[in-house]
Amino acid sequence: MGRRVVRETRLDQAFPMGNSDGTPARGLVVEVLDVTKAYTGGGGVRALDGVSVGFEAGSFCAVMGPSGSGKSTLLHCAAGLDRPDSGRVLLAGQDIGGLREPRLTEARRQRVGFVFQSYNLMESLSVWHNILLPQRLAGVRPDQGWAREVIRRVGLTGREDDRPGRLSGGQRQRVALARALASRPEVIFADEPTGALDLSTGREVLGLLREAVDQTGTTIVMVTHDPAAAAWADRAVFLADGRIVAELADPTAEKVAAQMMAVTVR
Amino acid sequence: MIRLALGTLRQHRGAYAGTFFAALLAVALLVGGGLLLASVLTAKPPANRFAAAPIVVAGDRDVTLEKVTTKQKKDKSKVKRKVKSERLTGAGSLPVDLAGRLGDLPGVAAAVADVAFPVQASTPDGRPLRGADGAPVIGHGWASAALTPYLLRGGAAPGRGEVVIDADLAQRSGSTVGGRLLVTTKTGVHTMVVSGVAAPAGRNGLPAQGALFVADGEVATVSGLPGPTAVAMLTRPGTDPVALRAAVGQVAGDHEVLTGADRVRADLPGALPDYIGPISIFGFVIGITAFAAVFVLTGTVTLGVRQRLRELALLRTAGATPGQLRRLLGVESLLLAGAAALPGAPLGVLFAHLVAARFQELGAVPAQFVVRTNVLVIVAAAAAGMVVTFVGARVAGRRAVRIAPTQALAETADAPTGGLAPRIAAAVTTTAGAVALLVFVPLDGPLGMGMSFVSSALLLCTVAALGPLLVRALTTPVSRLVGVGGPTGWLAGLVSRAEPRRVAAIAVPLVLMFAINATMLLNSALLGQLAQREQQDRTAAATAQVTAPGGLPLDTVERLVALDGVTGAAATLPTRAIVEQGGKPEDFASQGLLIAGTEAALDLDLRAGTLPGPGAFAASAYVAGQYGWRVGDDVQVWLADGHRVDLRLAGVYARARGFGDLVLPAELVAAHDPRGLVGTVGLRYRGDVPDRIAASWPGLRLAPTLAAAPANDAQNQQGAWELMVVISLGFTAIAVVNTFAIATAARRREFADLRLAGATTGQLHRLVDREAMITVAVGLLLGALVTAIVVGAFSAAQDGTVRVVVDAGTYAGMLGGVAALGLVAGAVPARVLLRRRGLPALGDRR
Ligand SMILES: Nc1ncnc2c1ncn2[C@@H]1O[C@H](COP(=O)(O)OP(=O)(O)O)[C@@H](O)[C@H]1O
Ligand SMILES: [Mg+2]
Repeated sequence: MGRRVVRETRLDQAFPMGNSDGTPARGLVVEVLDVTKAYTGGGGVRALDGVSVGFEAGSFCAVMGPSGSGKSTLLHCAAGLDRPDSGRVLLAGQDIGGLREPRLTEARRQRVGFVFQSYNLMESLSVWHNILLPQRLAGVRPDQGWAREVIRRVGLTGREDDRPGRLSGGQRQRVALARALASRPEVIFADEPTGALDLSTGREVLGLLREAVDQTGTTIVMVTHDPAAAAWADRAVFLADGRIVAELADPTAEKVAAQMMAVTVR
Repeated sequence: MIRLALGTLRQHRGAYAGTFFAALLAVALLVGGGLLLASVLTAKPPANRFAAAPIVVAGDRDVTLEKVTTKQKKDKSKVKRKVKSERLTGAGSLPVDLAGRLGDLPGVAAAVADVAFPVQASTPDGRPLRGADGAPVIGHGWASAALTPYLLRGGAAPGRGEVVIDADLAQRSGSTVGGRLLVTTKTGVHTMVVSGVAAPAGRNGLPAQGALFVADGEVATVSGLPGPTAVAMLTRPGTDPVALRAAVGQVAGDHEVLTGADRVRADLPGALPDYIGPISIFGFVIGITAFAAVFVLTGTVTLGVRQRLRELALLRTAGATPGQLRRLLGVESLLLAGAAALPGAPLGVLFAHLVAARFQELGAVPAQFVVRTNVLVIVAAAAAGMVVTFVGARVAGRRAVRIAPTQALAETADAPTGGLAPRIAAAVTTTAGAVALLVFVPLDGPLGMGMSFVSSALLLCTVAALGPLLVRALTTPVSRLVGVGGPTGWLAGLVSRAEPRRVAAIAVPLVLMFAINATMLLNSALLGQLAQREQQDRTAAATAQVTAPGGLPLDTVERLVALDGVTGAAATLPTRAIVEQGGKPEDFASQGLLIAGTEAALDLDLRAGTLPGPGAFAASAYVAGQYGWRVGDDVQVWLADGHRVDLRLAGVYARARGFGDLVLPAELVAAHDPRGLVGTVGLRYRGDVPDRIAASWPGLRLAPTLAAAPANDAQNQQGAWELMVVISLGFTAIAVVNTFAIATAARRREFADLRLAGATTGQLHRLVDREAMITVAVGLLLGALVTAIVVGAFSAAQDGTVRVVVDAGTYAGMLGGVAALGLVAGAVPARVLLRRRGLPALGDRR
């Protein structure tokens, strides 16, 4: 129940700033403006069709929608992993559309962390080295004290020297999360982080994400199709056929499920 | 099942393509090497000089010994006969009256005493006569012309002091009837007039031998032979060949009777293309290529199977039994290798032709050699490629197919690591084999080069068997060195240490490339250096060396060394002689030696006894040691024409390289070697000896000893050797590039993950480069180790000095070349893979 309380406090602060009708709000970490993206293969699918959405600092937003609705594509574009065909993406106020490699990668690793369904850990590195990898690649002196703290929080103390191959799926996802947190990014993008996990492990990972928002003010954008997962967020946006079709503040599993039904049936 | 596997082909294009490519090249090499060896083994003489004579009796063409051993077994005694023979370089002669006796047989129209002897002929202005492709000129009596037959095209049959030459020689030398020729044989230099030009029907001359006919009455004086080298019979029409053969056999006694295609064996050995050298060259070529091909192919197949462990695990989850997976791997490898054989076989044929042409240019293979496309060889080579791929896949899959289905769910699948025992057992066996070869085979003998190659091949197998272990041990220190500085260096070290199998898979072809080629190059460089040094030491005592384009007759030399002012002389006649041990005749490069004067003009570094006088000989320390001879022993020696003499061992000498293992009296060699000419005369003199030599013998060349050129034969050998190294370098280099490409292609996902973790493309490039540096360093360290062991042992066997580097330039070139290739081969595939903008493989994971 303690968690619930904390969450409500956050909501009180967060809600007035969160808004969906386009009025400028304080501290948008990521801003997606009228982005379209089509894939050439398979009959020219419009994965994103004029999407505009902003993600506020210190908020936890769930991106919902049926499979193939463009959730991952939105996430990739918002995170600078992929380039939109048109529209703009602002990361901490900076238009990343104009950045060329390796500036884009540098901007990303400075501000962004990732957690994916498929973990994306380096098999040949230990848990400890995986967690410090982004900082090493950035050429900054890793904050080892903070890394140890993060490892403690995700409950992996003592497993630092193991290779990912020897961990369970849930443990691997925690390593991925710890890695995302260790470099203190402004925003963490998570694509179906619980998709490969069982129910209780999934809940633990979601709890850790929530904790990151509440305790360190990290912004989290999480793609999911699971209403129960979306209920951990402060806000949910709904995608269908590459457009944002609905939005929910303070989502609960029931409200989300109902909205999903509506979206899917449409 | 197969369809299932083929469905995943796209994901493993890298591994499939790499295996396919390796199999293709392996088949091409096996086909090429096989065709060359088969062609040289079945090489037919280009023409039969006895085409018109159905039956020929020949003098000795080989030394054949029979060893009879009697074994006492209970009350029965068992007799075992072993016949061993060695080819002669000359031809034995027949009794002078044999032709007459054979001519009296019914059915024989004529029995022609055929004399064949090598001649050195030149035009008065010094242009030597050579046949097509430098074919030698063989002298005969005019009666032999009927045996082919050669028919006069112009002029007349030769009288005293006259010759008839074939139309090809006439054309090449611009000689016409009435012109003069200088004909040098061991009996001297004869100035003769061209009385006619003859040719076989339909052509200007026989391929591979030019013909020069002298008057029958003059054959003995010009050739210096005691009798005919063959007697060939022209038969009357309607004669029963079988009955005639029997009748001839009666008269001929011990001498061989030849009919049909065998008749060419009655010709002078020197008149036929010599395939003994090419057989050993092509034997070596197939040895090297087969080893490299099999070695590389098994490595590639193993790497390919390892990269598909995850897919194998998925198939296990789908219900495949280990047996089914094993069959899958087997069938798939057969299909792959079978498909690779289709382009591989024609490539191999092309390869055989290119290599043969190059060897011919170098003079290491007769110009008449033709590569015959033998379907059986091609099929066998393709089958061998398929078998190797199949066995490689089965061995690599041996443990992989028992992969737990749950591994499919793991991020990277890992096959159960098998016990170390089989690896260590294999390594111990191959190491023991290599050590045994290096210790027990006399590496300073004729087998030295071959056996040092085999021992380095065995050591390479050791390296391959222990690969991951050795690599693990080396990677840590090496990666510490290479990995300093920057996040990419740090990461490269970590990744390399974490993946010893991958590093080993790439490092082993690098070890192969360095060790095999460096061993061959350094050993041959060492032999070259030692031979050159011994040559210098042998001849240093002489002030000058006298040579003539074709060689000098012994009597000329005798007059030359008797000149006033010559204080010392040593004339050498190159020949080959045969000695026997345990019933096995073996031939050695030898020299006839004539010593004159009071000062030594040749220093053989005698270790015991003296230089031989009449009735005696000297042997190299190597041969004396091998045969257990001591000074004073009586030894049977067969000379080039098969004549057997008993000679007393007068001395044992050390400086035999590039010279010969037996030193015989010059007179004996001159009498029994078909050529019998002095190659060089080392001279010490006072006063104007050179001027007087120039005045008396204008054709001779007198050069200061320092400038004397090395023997031509050695240069051919060197060239052939270098070509072999080029072939093996080429193939091993391709193997290195291929392996790097396969290993890199499988890292798409790993690179994508790194990009997600924040690595820029530039950082990935640097990472891959550092990893390549670590791999190359590990490979070169192991390669240098193998090379050091083999070259060190080889060098120690030569003269007791252990050398590792031998030739700094060659060594540095090999190190630098292999390193550069490895670094480029590591860098390029990764850059191709990462060239696509944005993040690779985000979309197509799994
Ligand atoms: N790499 C790609 N190439 C072609 N089409 C793609 C690619 N990635 C996604 N798509 C298509 O774009 C649409 C949106 O995909 P995605 O964003 O992955 O959906 P979601 O994550 O909501 O399931 C789908 O129709 C999908 O088939
Ligand atoms: Mg998705």
